[in-house]
Amino acid sequence: MDKSKLGRIILVGAAILMLLTTYLAVIYVPLPQTSVKSADKILSSVEGSRIRVAGFVSDILNLPREFNPAQVIRFSLADFSDYQRYLAAAMVDQLDSQWWTVRPIDVEIYEVPKLMLAGIVDGPQDFIKGTNLSVLARVMDKGIGSNSNVTGFSLETSSWNDVTIGTSPGQFGIMTAPVAQKIFYFHMPSAWVSYLAFFVTLIASALYLKTRKIKYDRWAFCSAELGVLFSTIAITTGPVWAKQEWGVYWRWDDTKLVTTFVLWLVYIGYLMLRASMTDTGTRARVGAVYGILGFVTVPMSLLSSRVAPLLQSSHPQVIASNSGSLSPEAGMTIGIAIIAFTLLFITMLIRRVEIAESEEELEELKRTIGGED
Amino acid sequence: MSAALAIAWKDLKIELRSKEMLSAMFLFSLLMVLAFRFGFEGSVDAGDVALSDLGASSLWICFSFAAIVGMHTSFAKEKDRETLEGLLLCPVDRSSIFLGKVLSNMVLVFLVDLLSILFFSLFFAYDFEGNTIAVVGIAFLGTLSLVLVGTLVAAISVNARAREALLPVLLIPLIAFSVIIPSVSATRKAIAGDVSEAVGEIQSILGFAVIFGAVGYLTFDYVLEG
Repeated sequence: MDKSKLGRIILVGAAILMLLTTYLAVIYVPLPQTSVKSADKILSSVEGSRIRVAGFVSDILNLPREFNPAQVIRFSLADFSDYQRYLAAAMVDQLDSQWWTVRPIDVEIYEVPKLMLAGIVDGPQDFIKGTNLSVLARVMDKGIGSNSNVTGFSLETSSWNDVTIGTSPGQFGIMTAPVAQKIFYFHMPSAWVSYLAFFVTLIASALYLKTRKIKYDRWAFCSAELGVLFSTIAITTGPVWAKQEWGVYWRWDDTKLVTTFVLWLVYIGYLMLRASMTDTGTRARVGAVYGILGFVTVPMSLLSSRVAPLLQSSHPQVIASNSGSLSPEAGMTIGIAIIAFTLLFITMLIRRVEIAESEEELEELKRTIGGED
Repeated sequence: MSAALAIAWKDLKIELRSKEMLSAMFLFSLLMVLAFRFGFEGSVDAGDVALSDLGASSLWICFSFAAIVGMHTSFAKEKDRETLEGLLLCPVDRSSIFLGKVLSNMVLVFLVDLLSILFFSLFFAYDFEGNTIAVVGIAFLGTLSLVLVGTLVAAISVNARAREALLPVLLIPLIAFSVIIPSVSATRKAIAGDVSEAVGEIQSILGFAVIFGAVGYLTFDYVLEG
């Protein structure tokens, strides 16, 4: 009796928190600010003051063949808001035929210091069009109007230490699609819950093998089923965002995406394995072993982008990273969302186990009435 | 260990007499390399495709599919001839059965690996030169990891209906990231001659081999029970 009361409290709590999450995510959290400085902002700043600008290299004005320590490398840095158009053009190989002189930010790097020469020789490979850069630079020569290519200012930096080369705007904490980012409040908790669910499957499978109580098998199976459900949500909400942010739905060169896909397939395999066996004992036993074995893919997916990545990962890392730090509002929302999804999972798991129990009872009754076996 | 060796020897002896699996795997790898040869004829002749890329991917397709065929048969045969019960009645550890099966599968699959590498070298007129040892070594490591997890999954799927279809469904996602991707990458580097750059991949393969071996050794008891 007490137990069902608790179940009801969790259910109501989950429902309220889900509604709250939706409200917070859609209405409350402000859109993430890009840290790209607009041309106006740069023009209004004091000459000589240092500002950090980020963008992608849209044009290389003069890249010397042989590096002379005193030589100037000039390139223009376009705002990431142009990134979508850029990606689209890059994909059909039409970078050159499009107009890329928007140049809200123009950067000139003067007098490459001798000390950094070794780094610079490696540099040109990185300095292709489309490279993502963040530069801490000084505002110089505002209001140059004579050259039509320049929007009216230039920036300069004298140290390569001030230049950061990144693989994606996200590495500089810049979202090119701020509205699509809202899906994060549902995507990340779903992924978390799927990991949790598979962990429950692991524990319940081990307990089943140890104790041989069928109830643990029920927990393992039901939890895996919900895990597949939630990882399906995570795996389908991700591409919706990725299309906006990266310009493509899916990237096979991204460790996180590939490992999560593999994880999803493994547990679908687990469900198929269970479905293809009729004998309860064998199903529970063999399912438990595969449930344990399959868990190998969970840390693989969870830690993929942090532990020795064989491939690159552009998937944002939210926790334990210094790049994608969240605003306090976003942090609170994601916290509530995680609690909401966890409670939702717990209440769904309890219900699912109850259903499984009823199903087994029904089978038992059928057998008694039918007189078979 | 001697029990494991005895079981492995028994499997290999049966195989030597019937040559069922070996001939199937042999023809399979032959056809696979042939298909690649004809499929990529134009681009290979024109030099559009790097042979190290093509070699690594086509070899690993041969290895993994041959392994799946071989490992499936090693348990399915026992089940069909009802000799599995006999094996279970042996007064040895279940883990020894696991080790024995791993050993016999390893020998057969590795043999097919060597044949595939030979066929590749033959059909593509490609000389591995000094890289042969590196390529064979990586094939050995990758196959070991593959067989360790594959033997366990084959034992799992042998209980199911539609087991032929189920084994790849259960196995391929497990090995995709842990074995295939690092092995293909390491093989590509080995063929290109810079195996020393493949340390990360080799560590990854070895790490997963340890994990799969441990899980298999510990849980095999439960799979074959009853």
